[in-house]
Amino acid sequence: MVTTVPRTDLAAARMTAAVKQYGQGETAVTALDGIDVSFESGRFTAIMGPSGSGKSTLLHCQAGLDVLTSGSAYIGEVDLGSLSDKDLTLLRREKVGFVFQAFNLIPTLSAKENVLLPLLIAGAQHDAKWFDEVVGILGIGNRLSHRPAELSGGEQQRVAAARALVAHPAIIFADEPSGNLDSRAAAELLGFMRGAVSDYGQTIVMVTHDPVAAAYADRIVFLGDGRIVDEMTHPTMEAVIDRMKQFGG
Amino acid sequence: MLRATLKSALGHKLRLMLTAMSVMMGVAFVVGTFIFTDTIDKTFDELFADVYAGQDVIVQSHSEYDVGLGVPPPFDEAVIDTVLGVPGVAAAEGSVSGFAVIYDEAGTAIVPTGPPTLGGSWVADERLAGNSELRDGREPSASDEVAIDARTATAHDLVVGDTIDVQTVNEVGTYHLVGIVGFGEADNLGGATIAIFDLETAQRLFELEGKYSSIAVKADEGTTSEALTERIQAALPDNMEAVAVADEVAAQTQTMKEGLGFLETALLIFAAVAVFVGAFIIQNTFRIIVRQRQRELALMRAVGATGNQVIRMVVIEALLVGLVASLLGILFGFVIAWGLTAFMDAAGFSMPSTSAPLTLRTIVVGLAVGVLVTVAAALVPAVRASHIPPVAALHDMDITLRMSDRARAIIGGILLLVGTGFIVSGLFQALIDIGPLNQLTRVGIGAVLVFLAVSLLSSNVVKPAATLLGHRSVLTVVGFVSGLALVGAGVGLVVYGASSGLGTAAAMLPLALITAAVGIMAVYLGLTVVRDRFTPSLAVQNAVRKPRRTATTASALMIGLALVTFFFIMGDSIKATAGRAIDEGLRADYVISANAFVGGFSPTLADDLAQRPEIAAVTSMRIGYWDLEGTQQMATGLDQTTADQTMFLDIQQGSFTALSDGGVLVLDTVAEEEGWTVGDEIPMGFAGGLQRVEIVGIFTEQNQVQPYVVSLDFLMENASGYGSDLDNVVMVKAAEGVAPEVSRALVEAVAADYPNATVRDQAEFRASQEAQVSTMLMVFNALLFLAVIIAIFGITNTLALSVYERTHEIGLLRAVGMSRSQVVRAVSWEAIVVAIIGAVLGIVVGSVFGVVVAVAMASQGLTVLSIPVLQIGALVVFGAIAGLIAALFPARKASRLRILDAIAYE
Repeated sequence: MVTTVPRTDLAAARMTAAVKQYGQGETAVTALDGIDVSFESGRFTAIMGPSGSGKSTLLHCQAGLDVLTSGSAYIGEVDLGSLSDKDLTLLRREKVGFVFQAFNLIPTLSAKENVLLPLLIAGAQHDAKWFDEVVGILGIGNRLSHRPAELSGGEQQRVAAARALVAHPAIIFADEPSGNLDSRAAAELLGFMRGAVSDYGQTIVMVTHDPVAAAYADRIVFLGDGRIVDEMTHPTMEAVIDRMKQFGG
Repeated sequence: MLRATLKSALGHKLRLMLTAMSVMMGVAFVVGTFIFTDTIDKTFDELFADVYAGQDVIVQSHSEYDVGLGVPPPFDEAVIDTVLGVPGVAAAEGSVSGFAVIYDEAGTAIVPTGPPTLGGSWVADERLAGNSELRDGREPSASDEVAIDARTATAHDLVVGDTIDVQTVNEVGTYHLVGIVGFGEADNLGGATIAIFDLETAQRLFELEGKYSSIAVKADEGTTSEALTERIQAALPDNMEAVAVADEVAAQTQTMKEGLGFLETALLIFAAVAVFVGAFIIQNTFRIIVRQRQRELALMRAVGATGNQVIRMVVIEALLVGLVASLLGILFGFVIAWGLTAFMDAAGFSMPSTSAPLTLRTIVVGLAVGVLVTVAAALVPAVRASHIPPVAALHDMDITLRMSDRARAIIGGILLLVGTGFIVSGLFQALIDIGPLNQLTRVGIGAVLVFLAVSLLSSNVVKPAATLLGHRSVLTVVGFVSGLALVGAGVGLVVYGASSGLGTAAAMLPLALITAAVGIMAVYLGLTVVRDRFTPSLAVQNAVRKPRRTATTASALMIGLALVTFFFIMGDSIKATAGRAIDEGLRADYVISANAFVGGFSPTLADDLAQRPEIAAVTSMRIGYWDLEGTQQMATGLDQTTADQTMFLDIQQGSFTALSDGGVLVLDTVAEEEGWTVGDEIPMGFAGGLQRVEIVGIFTEQNQVQPYVVSLDFLMENASGYGSDLDNVVMVKAAEGVAPEVSRALVEAVAADYPNATVRDQAEFRASQEAQVSTMLMVFNALLFLAVIIAIFGITNTLALSVYERTHEIGLLRAVGMSRSQVVRAVSWEAIVVAIIGAVLGIVVGSVFGVVVAVAMASQGLTVLSIPVLQIGALVVFGAIAGLIAALFPARKASRLRILDAIAYE
């Protein structure tokens, strides 16, 4: 693996002693049960685990979409727990990109407006050269004036990926981005995400249950019952499947 | 199936609450009107029953025509001997009534605005006194003694033993207050002040020496009222009549009810507007409910529910909503009735403490209106729901369940044409005549159809309108103007509160603060547009994404504001017409008018003024009621010898002086309509009998007079009734060369002795006329405000549902960096855009209505068309504010949505 961007030892995001409980008393469910994890800058990390293992909760808490019950979550050196809702919003706007499994786009906006959404919200100017480059790589240049309803599922996810990239975020969180796509469209999207990390030094954290998707990552964190149960670097699809079999997942 | 319906109904409490609210308020208005008018009816029933309690027969002079407030003319008191001589008469006593103004201890006249100031004579025989009873003191028995009604006494701190002044037609006398009188449960008679003297004194004061206004008769035990009535009638001369008391009570009650009938009609029209607006809200809500529940309904279809069952499900839900809302509306109706009663009470119309009766009719009509309107409005969405295919259970598909744009345009166009036809046929009967419906009904039906048409067609203008509105500079201006208006209103409230005392100021403060806070929010909204272009553009796109939903929501506001605009134009035109009538038709320098609907002040005022050298001409004017082949008419009686100097009617043929021989001047448009020309004789039915009166002239400018003008002498000879011996208006022209200050001081000095006479110069008179119109407008607009509030509920409701539908979207926007305040702003702008579209549609429709009706009424004397552009323009600002208020709740709700809901897909 060759990277053109110098590696930094600083974690792009990390969590310490992270606990997340839903509900109270008898009915309380512990989704995260003391997680210590760090996501290095310029790397593509996948989070895997069976249903209910807490992988989505981890992503949400790390991305500032949800709040930990105890412990801390950082993006860069900023403690998310110390931020007001307003500051947290600004942090997401400026430092974080998102790709979700579905409902990624605003139906009233064109593809171009959806790509530029974080910048439009911020009222900021966009970098035209970077925008053209991102759009070009993702192959959505000729779809920019279309509404989401007029795009295929793969195109919609590529627009979402372009949106995540366009504001130069410190980190991108992707929640099952290829979950609703056929294998060809999924491969295109994941290949692009891989490229963003390799070619541009982008940091990506992706939740997935698909070994094929996970194999695009530099590193996989395995979750089970709210704890980190294993890790794997430079995974291959076969290795991932083997590992999952061990967990019975 | 029923269980499923109930569950889904209970599952959306807020949505149902808002929907129910719009039904509830309409029903409450209807029910409140009924309770209120029933209360009035009951009050009068009891009042007259009280007044005549214990009496069996009334003897009075016979009037051939029962018109207006006319009471039979007085008659010779010798008739009492005839009555007493009839076998079966146990007791009989004559009485008189007339005009009397009571002064309080400080010497200020007690003059209610509207109700009359009555004088009467004491009925000595207790058997005939009815339920009139002394609450305190004793009966008046000397020429310097008086008793007064309990309401006047308590309201002005008058007690037995006080010395007070009372003015009658020819004098102001000083009397000892010896008694306080109540009338059954009531403290006065429909708001009138009453001064009671002994019979002899009353006869002298009312200039009725040797006469009675009526004789009350009590029958012997064993003699029925009917039998005695017949016997007395047989004994009476031709020009007298005996009336059984039951008939008299019924007749008087009927007269009062008819007099107040317009009130019921007017209130019910406003209630109908509220219900109509409510129907829009219901329809929109159910349409959205069906869309939201599409998958659920499709699932029901998939597991075997028939289309009809789906329809039934939606209809039953509507039925439930309608039922609950109607029941609440009936309860709330008491509040409305109470408000109306309090309003009447504040206006001096004492309502006894009889509980407002809730009749079966009120309940039935209230329930029927609420349930039927709700179900009818939900019917179209229900039918659409039945067309959802089972396959829709599998994916969230956008099914076209609606009319095509083409069908909409065609139906809208047809409705518009038919509606316009109805309106034109109502306004210009000569052009189209469609059967038996009366004019008001036709215009009403036409207006309803036009509103429906505009709501159907307006979905086409939503997009361009919203795009235009969405322009940054427009939004900034809207934000600033409405914000500053609100802040100003807040400051105004504080200033008003401070000026009327600390207590009021404290009470006003919360309202003022809320108003100002909303205002500041609007200014803030306006400011943010400068640096945040995205939020407003998102709002505009949201407003146009469901053009029909937006159109229906906006239409609800349109209706209320169209009617407000209509009244603005009518009011302004009436003001302008009155202004022109004063400019061109008023030659007098001063107008002295009575501050009462009927009656007025003693003619000695005019007599006194006429003798002053500083005064060139004095014209007394009175109003009389008469009957033209079954319809009641009004005529002005005036002093024809001086009228030429004080007013200008542009008499085309004939002259004022031609009235001297008992003729009538007729307004040209009336003469044209009736096909009369000068020289014709018209049948005028007065209380005193039928007169064939020759038309001696045609006038073209209806300035300060009724369409029929007769001489004062003629009117006094023929029309009798309360106040027929009093001047209603006196026009005064100063002599040449007399300085205005001098003539004014003189007129004021003379009028000072007449407490219910107000002197105004031309400018003041004009202002007072305009103030009357403004007051009326205020009452109308206050009543329409309810419809506007319902429309605001509708906007809130639609927005809340839209926010709910866009949960994912809002969550996504928040995730990628939209702040809570941006979400609030987006929802607020959307509401403002929708509301302004509604306001502008309303202004357009209302302006067309206003102009058309004003033109149609030109022949009825509305000769000037005036459009108050500023007032109407202010409605746009009002619309923006309404939108902002409507948005408060859904915007807050949207901003509090959990971001994770965007990512939590099923």
